[in-house]
Amino acid sequence: MKKKKFSWGMVVIYLFIAIFAIITVFPFIYMILGGLMSYEETTTIPPTLIPHHFNWDNFRQVFAQAPFARYFLNTFITASVSTLVTLFTSILGAFAMVYLKFRGKGFIQLILLSLLMVPAEAIIFTNYTTIMDMGLLNTYLGLVLPFLVSIFYMYYLQSYFTAISPTIYKAAKIDGASDWEFIWKILVPMSKGGLMTVGLLSFIAGWNSFLWPLLVTNEDSMRLLNNGLTAFTTDAGAQTQLQLAAATLTVLPILVIYFIFRKQIINGVVRNDLKA
Amino acid sequence: MKQNQKKAWLFLAPILILVTVFSIWPIIRAFIMSFKGGPIINMQYNGLANYQYIFSDPDFWHAIANTAIYAFVTVPVALIISIALAWFVFSKIKHKTFFETMFFMPYVTSTIAIGIVFRYILNGKYGLLDYLLRAIHLPAPDWLDDPSMSIISLIMFGVWASLAFNIVILMGALRNIDPNYYVLADMYGASEMEKFWRITLPQLVPTITFLLTVNLIGAFKIYTQVYALFNGAAGQANSAMTAVFYIYNKFQVVNTPGVAMAATVVLFFIILLATFIQRKITKKVNS
Repeated sequence: MKKKKFSWGMVVIYLFIAIFAIITVFPFIYMILGGLMSYEETTTIPPTLIPHHFNWDNFRQVFAQAPFARYFLNTFITASVSTLVTLFTSILGAFAMVYLKFRGKGFIQLILLSLLMVPAEAIIFTNYTTIMDMGLLNTYLGLVLPFLVSIFYMYYLQSYFTAISPTIYKAAKIDGASDWEFIWKILVPMSKGGLMTVGLLSFIAGWNSFLWPLLVTNEDSMRLLNNGLTAFTTDAGAQTQLQLAAATLTVLPILVIYFIFRKQIINGVVRNDLKA
Repeated sequence: MKQNQKKAWLFLAPILILVTVFSIWPIIRAFIMSFKGGPIINMQYNGLANYQYIFSDPDFWHAIANTAIYAFVTVPVALIISIALAWFVFSKIKHKTFFETMFFMPYVTSTIAIGIVFRYILNGKYGLLDYLLRAIHLPAPDWLDDPSMSIISLIMFGVWASLAFNIVILMGALRNIDPNYYVLADMYGASEMEKFWRITLPQLVPTITFLLTVNLIGAFKIYTQVYALFNGAAGQANSAMTAVFYIYNKFQVVNTPGVAMAATVVLFFIILLATFIQRKITKKVNS
């Protein structure tokens, strides 16, 4: 083993990492601290870093000035429903693609694969027109309907299912299990990890969605968190500390989920993108 | 075993129905709508008028130029910083997962919420960044309200936001490099720099080309970051107008959906072309 020597190269490397670590994390810390400042503290020069006194009252004011409780509920409902239904439809689809043989399978695979390349922004506006035609603007159904399936997550599950030996399916069939029983009693318990990852990624995406709910809702009672947040920043005007408190409320639940499940989330992202 | 199990269609039905209605139909409909004029409830065919309109609209070219500048600066800058950070953390840091967890935070958090903090930090009057710049006697521009700074501010925000995904993917690729290469290199007394240029970088080429495509496509579709940074506008005097922002304005604000769809079709082909060129390059690199 070589002895560690002091070198300027190492200093530069550690400095580089440290600077970018600070740049990455600082906005989050500043958001939380700023949300606890008084109005005066947010506008002073030099800028305040740490509030002299934690103004927890800011959070009460946020809830008083805008229906954030309602935004939370709406966001939680739409993110959960789209995640659960997406899991359901993806499990069924991936099962058929992996375990069943049928005419037209290759064609379906080809169509779905090429649809993966279509940018969401290219179809989001026409989807809005469809939802409008259906009379579903400002409804939960309109908010979730286009997000109840995901070709991307179906492929992700397909790769999980392919790793499970097909002999298990054959054995289950010989034992008299139906396809439905095989899916819920064997396949799902065996691929818990993959389902968990898809669930987490889908829920986070639902929680952070912005453009779609912006299009299909205009009533305050149907807004999701991010749209409520932009409306609030316009209304709250110069009240920076309230804006930051509201931003903290939006980000915190996801950060908590992230810190608990960071391994699954990071591995999930790495796994599906290396395959692409 | 039967070769044609028709029950498969039953399992695929939910996916196929929803994909047809919300992925295939909207593409066809976007094409149709791009040849129609009038408000959304009463659209009439007007031939190529929408395409003529956008190609002679200076705002459209401005939006495309902004998007291209944003993409071609943000993507390489973010990628180079990401490669350096991933490599340094991978080879020099003991608590890799700690740093990985930290660097990945922006990926999972709401762009809108983070935009509020960035607006505060970049504020021209009492923002922290300008305070620090003045303290070291550097020019302190008005990042958000000076139209000539809009794209630069957007690029800074974009780089900040794209490091997360890049670093995590690169760390994954670095872990997959056979450690024996480095053992062998050490036996021959290779320096750190030689190891990086001769072993690490060549092994990362597929990952880097993958990140280039994903990042470029993502950058061409930039919208939410503009909305977040300039509080719902496209910067002072539309100085940060991007392609998707242009489409949104034409669709929802000015209520000319036909024009919006013509712009969508053009953007769609630009992205498709970029993907196609990138695939050709990847094939060449890999062979």
